[in-house]
Amino acid sequence: MLAFLVGVGYLTILPLGRLQYLALEHGGRSYRDAYTRTGEWTTIKYTLLLGVGSLLIAIVVGTGLAWAASSLPRRLRMLRAVPILPIVLPPIAGVLGWAFLLSPHPGYLNQLLRHLPWWSGRFEGPFNIYTLPWIIIITGVSLASFVYLFVASGLENISDELIEAGYVNGSSRAGVFFRVVLPLLRPALVYGTGVALLLGLGQFTAPLLLGANEGVTVLTTDMYFQTQQIPPQYGLAAAVGSPLLIFGILVLFANRILLGNHTRFITHGGKGGFRPSSRGSVPAALSIILYGLFATVLPILSLVIVSLSRYWSGVFDVHQFTLATWRTVTTASGVLPAIYNSVELSVIAAAATLPIAYAAALYLRKQQEHRILGPILDFVVAMPLSIPAVIFGTGFLLTYTHKPFVLYGTKWVIVLVYITLMIPFATRMVLSGIAALGDAYTEASRVSGAGAVRTHLSILAPLLRPTFGGALALMFILLSHEFAASLLVRAPTVNVMGTILYDYYENGGYPLTAVISLIMVGVTTAGVMVALVVGGSESFKKL
Amino acid sequence: MSSVSIKGLSKRFSGKPPTIAIDDLELEIAPGEFLVLLGPSGCGKTTTLRCLAGLETADIGSIAFGDKAVFDAARHLNVSPNKRGIGMVFQSYALWPHMTVRKNVAYPLRARKIKGKQASEWIEEVARLVDTANLLDRYPAQLSGGQQQRVALSRGLVARPELVLFDEPLSNLDARLRELVRTEIYELHQRLKFTAVYVTHDQVEALALGDRLAIMRSGALEQLGTPDEIFEEPASEYVADFIGMSNRLVFERLEQGWTYEGEPLDGDMSWLQTSSPTLTARTRSEDVHLAPPGTAAEWPQTVNLPASVVASEFGGRHLDVVVTIGGTRVQSRIPAGERGGWARGLEAGQQVVASLRFRDLALYDESGALLSSAGRRVAVAS
Repeated sequence: MLAFLVGVGYLTILPLGRLQYLALEHGGRSYRDAYTRTGEWTTIKYTLLLGVGSLLIAIVVGTGLAWAASSLPRRLRMLRAVPILPIVLPPIAGVLGWAFLLSPHPGYLNQLLRHLPWWSGRFEGPFNIYTLPWIIIITGVSLASFVYLFVASGLENISDELIEAGYVNGSSRAGVFFRVVLPLLRPALVYGTGVALLLGLGQFTAPLLLGANEGVTVLTTDMYFQTQQIPPQYGLAAAVGSPLLIFGILVLFANRILLGNHTRFITHGGKGGFRPSSRGSVPAALSIILYGLFATVLPILSLVIVSLSRYWSGVFDVHQFTLATWRTVTTASGVLPAIYNSVELSVIAAAATLPIAYAAALYLRKQQEHRILGPILDFVVAMPLSIPAVIFGTGFLLTYTHKPFVLYGTKWVIVLVYITLMIPFATRMVLSGIAALGDAYTEASRVSGAGAVRTHLSILAPLLRPTFGGALALMFILLSHEFAASLLVRAPTVNVMGTILYDYYENGGYPLTAVISLIMVGVTTAGVMVALVVGGSESFKKL
Repeated sequence: MSSVSIKGLSKRFSGKPPTIAIDDLELEIAPGEFLVLLGPSGCGKTTTLRCLAGLETADIGSIAFGDKAVFDAARHLNVSPNKRGIGMVFQSYALWPHMTVRKNVAYPLRARKIKGKQASEWIEEVARLVDTANLLDRYPAQLSGGQQQRVALSRGLVARPELVLFDEPLSNLDARLRELVRTEIYELHQRLKFTAVYVTHDQVEALALGDRLAIMRSGALEQLGTPDEIFEEPASEYVADFIGMSNRLVFERLEQGWTYEGEPLDGDMSWLQTSSPTLTARTRSEDVHLAPPGTAAEWPQTVNLPASVVASEFGGRHLDVVVTIGGTRVQSRIPAGERGGWARGLEAGQQVVASLRFRDLALYDESGALLSSAGRRVAVAS
């Protein structure tokens, strides 16, 4: 147990510790330097605006979508999956898609809008995707998926009778939703809010890709820029990231405390889940379709258009479409190796994470026996979930460019950071799988005379196969998307899909960028298919 | 066959407040004996069983199977479950859903390195004994509850363990199947003569199966004895209540003799030699007889008490009547009698006479000690 804890701690805690050590060196000089720079407070202000602003949008939109999804007409129940789609859309692809839509001059949507009488005659606009409000909106809309996921799965667990009791006792549809349903969902909402706020504050992709044009910097992008200095300013980067680190740890503790009193909210039943009325609501269906349009369809559509154009000039002409860029994929420098790396490293990391997650889940399951180490392990395992990937990337870059393990420049540093990022997800899934099995199967094996090894191999592992399959597929999806940590630890010679995409974006190779984005979408979709086949439709509920 | 010896076993679960699951338990089980641990939920019977299996670790005490110690807190000895040579049948059956019945049953043999011809012979034999031969190639999910429990039995017995542990194996079955499988367990034990420890909260099961019953209360033994002893001489009110004597009446000795709620008892109680100022009587509902006022039973050594009907439920051959005798609610089960007879006409508020025969009562003195019961006539004069 202790050895295992040290091993996992080496992955999840040591890089963060090394960063802090560096930042605190020489009497905390890095902190002094970091927070006395001009513009530093603007960065903090922007970060807070991004975190809180996107959270508000995410909560309003996400809860609204959950309410709408529960009011869908019976025939349109399939639409419930629509709000989850942005999760499988690689964030970097989504952001790019929006850039192509709402860039001030050539953005397709802006061009359309300029046909409207009150905006006609403009050369630019009306919207500028490169400004903070739009970064907030884009982030909020994609985070809405997470809030939706939490609320919708919470709704499904609420017993019909609790809802019906609300109606019978004289409440309206909205009254029941706000007075019975939402209060019951408090834990789901609080947890969802915490996670969404963390994700908002730690947001990296949108500010990096969109913020550079207008000089919008947030803490995460600031960290990245510090590591790109020559020589890299790790101390400064660490000091800059500390507020996010501290906040992440606080949320982790708060969540542990809040989980203490869960029984108050357990609702038995949950056969049908929350349904405001037997009749479906057409506006509900429309609002979900609208969300799907903005969050998924439009960005992908704009990517497709750009990928078929010679240049991204904003000219939309079907006759000019060409597959020329698609053909260059095999020859364009670094693209094929990056795709290959993404798949290979994701598969290796997912496969390597699974045994770690299995062991961690077994230890966490027996917390009774590990009174002191158990909670520590729980904490260590959950860390990567609440700390932005950029911070982990920076920590790994620092740790593995120095002794004892100089792995920078190899694929292995990427695999290690991937494993670290995936440990919390995989552990949660395996743990819930083990909990669902209960203890009786393993106990029956032990009293039948089987030792621990045989029990794991013949009983537990086969019974958990669907869980393992689901976890592997989920990890593959998340890792093939991975951008933030990859960007930090990649070497010029070792790229993955996200980082090569960023390189081409920086150099203005937009059609090729769009092509790579679409390939990412394709790889992810393939991953989802495998997940659904292997793990069943329940795979994503365990998130 | 192995004997079991439990010495000074204690186990507490931490929590707020901590619960004492087993409290200084002493128990000797003879080789081949069928011992039933009986008690309400939370009395520590399942924890005791799990300590025997090695699935739970006690804080203090020792357990030995035969002359082999399997657990000794003082010596930090704790043999793991797989090395204890036991079989166990679970309440939830715990059949592994990914294995066929044959693989489930073969598992204890594989784990014990019993292979080849011998293994298949043992599997066939247990399948014949428990009547699962035709199920061997199916998966557990394709079986009914009763079949699943039979397979679980086979798995528990196949390796011919010296000690078989049963954790409420019948409580997930419906009433009819429960009786059927119970009889099977009884016959299997008669034939195979393994030592058995059987946990249940059902007194009927306990009386039917046990060579001896151990009635547990708050982690300790309340009474240990043969079913006959327990049934006829419940040592305490707790035991009496548990084996169905749910009615409770308190008599008090005043100057004029024994009284019930201040009224003198009409029966002769001079035979009862006790200095206790109160007597607590426990009785089954079948032993509370009802009659119209003025026609009280003329049996010897009977107490007749005026009672008032609260409710009467029709049960086919019998009636379940709730009456109040003074301030106490008492359950009575009387023959339903003829259609249109007196018993069937009982209505709420009606006055009746409740008759209790002393030989049907379990009487306890002030300290809670048993004075007289169906099986203990020592104090009875005639």
